[in-house]
Amino acid sequence: MADLKEKSRSGVGARVKAFGALPAKEQANRVGNLLLNNAMYIIIVLAIIIIAIIKPQFLSVSSIINIVSLTAAKLPIALGIGGCIVLTGTDISAGRTVGLTACIAASLSLTANKLYPNLGVMPIPVVLLAVILVGACVGFVNGFSVAKFKLHPFIVTLSTQLIVYGTILLYLKQGTNNGQTLSGFAESYRGFVTDELFRIQNVPVPRYVLYAIILTVLMWIIWNKTTFGKNMFAVGSNEEAANVSGVNVTRTIITVFVLAGVMYGLTGFIDAARIASANANTGLNYECDAIAACVIGGVSFVGGIGKISGIVVGVLLLQIIFVGLNFLSVDQNLLYIVKGLIILVACAIDMRKYLVRK
Amino acid sequence: MEQQPQNPEQTRPLRGLYRHVKISVRTLNVVIILGIAAIVLCVLFGVAHAGYTVTFDSRGGTDVPSQEHMYQEYVDAPTPPTRDGYVFTGWYVDENCTTAWDFETDVVQGSFTLYAGWTLQEAS
Repeated sequence: MADLKEKSRSGVGARVKAFGALPAKEQANRVGNLLLNNAMYIIIVLAIIIIAIIKPQFLSVSSIINIVSLTAAKLPIALGIGGCIVLTGTDISAGRTVGLTACIAASLSLTANKLYPNLGVMPIPVVLLAVILVGACVGFVNGFSVAKFKLHPFIVTLSTQLIVYGTILLYLKQGTNNGQTLSGFAESYRGFVTDELFRIQNVPVPRYVLYAIILTVLMWIIWNKTTFGKNMFAVGSNEEAANVSGVNVTRTIITVFVLAGVMYGLTGFIDAARIASANANTGLNYECDAIAACVIGGVSFVGGIGKISGIVVGVLLLQIIFVGLNFLSVDQNLLYIVKGLIILVACAIDMRKYLVRK
Repeated sequence: MEQQPQNPEQTRPLRGLYRHVKISVRTLNVVIILGIAAIVLCVLFGVAHAGYTVTFDSRGGTDVPSQEHMYQEYVDAPTPPTRDGYVFTGWYVDENCTTAWDFETDVVQGSFTLYAGWTLQEAS
């Protein structure tokens, strides 16, 4: 056994040689393991190749920039949920929180404001502060209930999801708006998010791609270079052990959820400007995409395991596959079924990985 | 380096959300393979029934048949509907008739509905 380990350290060539020396049954077993543990990646890459062959426009510059922009738009919410999953929890209030913050960002930036007729267009820092505060508040309620009441995050975030949804509906009834879609934003707000960063072959890359990159780097630093990040992984892998070794578990859990809430707020801020409108359905089911992306990207429900790079790859792969299916004109309703199956299979694969390692 | 705890924890039974899981690897293999087969079947079914439906809501006017289109195709401008006492102003993306659909430049991105815009006919 030790001999084998020695060999595998000395490079790919030696690894192949060691593999050749194994009995045939063991070889088949290992290939099977490799195929099954990476089944999701294999199937997605195969799908991408097939779609690219059928529809060559799928790999055109404008299509690739479209995929990158969509990834950038969905990345912050996935980065937020990733932290909750590291704690073996999850957050199903994410989508609605994005909706609420999108509506708030929209209502502060309307040129013809029906919600608050006397309110002019607010400057960007005020809007940003508002969405961050609202997101953080929802996150705090989630985190406090999970940490103090010891309730399962599914139950807690289910209730906040409903509360937030009710708030969106009431918020949209303000003034004479009567629940209608908010649209017609000030140029300062739309431009801040969607103005072109640079052009590749005459296709503009929007600014929010840059914002997503900044947020990703920020989250990478928080996860890997701060005490809080290390505490988060410790609490995720074993809460009692973390508590014994002096980690403030309650504060860590609350901070993870507040941070996630801030990320949802920023997603909402970007989303309203990106879609150029906001209504009660904005952000619906975003958490499904984000959870699927995290699980595909190797953030495990086993707790305490996950990488920012994995989340980025997960979001990117999901967006590629769904844009690809769009190119094939597959009915959107069917995509919900596919998404659900992907989450289920990704969890089964995740479980298998840790079961086999045992 | 990115955090990847490599502690002896992993040799113990599953923890976290999976701590109550009692399933054999063989069963999981079957579940994974069946799940992937289901995904592939769903996608194949979707590809076989490809196409997005553009529905026209004439909102009180004469009925306009819906159209089937592929991704990034143009919508064919239908014969304008008629309605007593009203003048047809065009097709709109939203029910409030603020964003008009341009049949020359706008392309299909998914299934959607276009709404007829009407203004009251002035008595002559």
